[in-house]
Amino acid sequence: MKIRRFLPLLALLGIVLVVPATGQEDNQPRTVIGPSNIDLADGATALRTGNAEDGVRLTRSGLRSAANDRERVAGYSNLCAGLVMLDQLDEALEACNQALMIDDKHWRSYSNRALIYVKQKRFADAERDIADGEAISPNARTLKIVKAMLLDETDPVEPSITIDDRRQVPVDGGE
Amino acid sequence: MVVNRKLLPAVLLLQAIGVCAADESSVIHLPDRSSERVPLNTVAPVYPAIAMRDRVEGDVQVCFNVDRKGRPYRIAVRSSTDRIFEKPSIRAIRTSRYVALPPEKEVPGIKTCRTFQFRLESVAGN
Repeated sequence: MKIRRFLPLLALLGIVLVVPATGQEDNQPRTVIGPSNIDLADGATALRTGNAEDGVRLTRSGLRSAANDRERVAGYSNLCAGLVMLDQLDEALEACNQALMIDDKHWRSYSNRALIYVKQKRFADAERDIADGEAISPNARTLKIVKAMLLDETDPVEPSITIDDRRQVPVDGGE
Repeated sequence: MVVNRKLLPAVLLLQAIGVCAADESSVIHLPDRSSERVPLNTVAPVYPAIAMRDRVEGDVQVCFNVDRKGRPYRIAVRSSTDRIFEKPSIRAIRTSRYVALPPEKEVPGIKTCRTFQFRLESVAGN
């Protein structure tokens, strides 16, 4: 059973929701309703609904007005996911690298980059990124799916089921 | 499909008595020739997708009674290495059938047990 059917879902799961930062960068009282970077948030929504073209365009626009590293990491990671969806792997890889240069603990970027490596058949690199991602987020479902895709390529298996009705298994294996 | 040579007759027999797998799994059936209840339609469980994804293997033993008409009832898991395999195993038993007993024969009170072994076999050599 190939894991390829998980791919659209996977790309969606690698997308970061952009919500207002909680950190107070100045002491001025302010009220923030909704996301602080509209384009990034709309880009994430577009990517989540599978609209990669709009998602990439809006995310690029959002990145130009990113206010802090948190928004930049989310933006580059989403851009990476969107470009993977568009099968523009070299550009996607650059975006993932950018995200990881800003935050080397961003497991979603490791997951997205591992997926790129799997598609590029750079299996050792994919394995390393999956391990790095799992070290940060051991139970991340996306990473498990990418790992399964990697194993499908490097060590494919097929299920086998034995139905044993015997009361006692003979020692010599005979009937 | 990798089949151990020793098990080949059992596999061939399996086709004669009717075994169906709901997914792409290869299935081997090792029947109990000493039992009075003869399988009529043996349903193989579906290998759970999550277990497949995470490369999990396991065994489940399910015990049950078989009524006069050949339908399993009082189905219960006796032992299991991983809970993920239990539901598909129970479902497979529930939909399996045995040959009905003739009216003059008494229904044996003894439980029937069936062990499902879920394995993943490498296909790299193929």
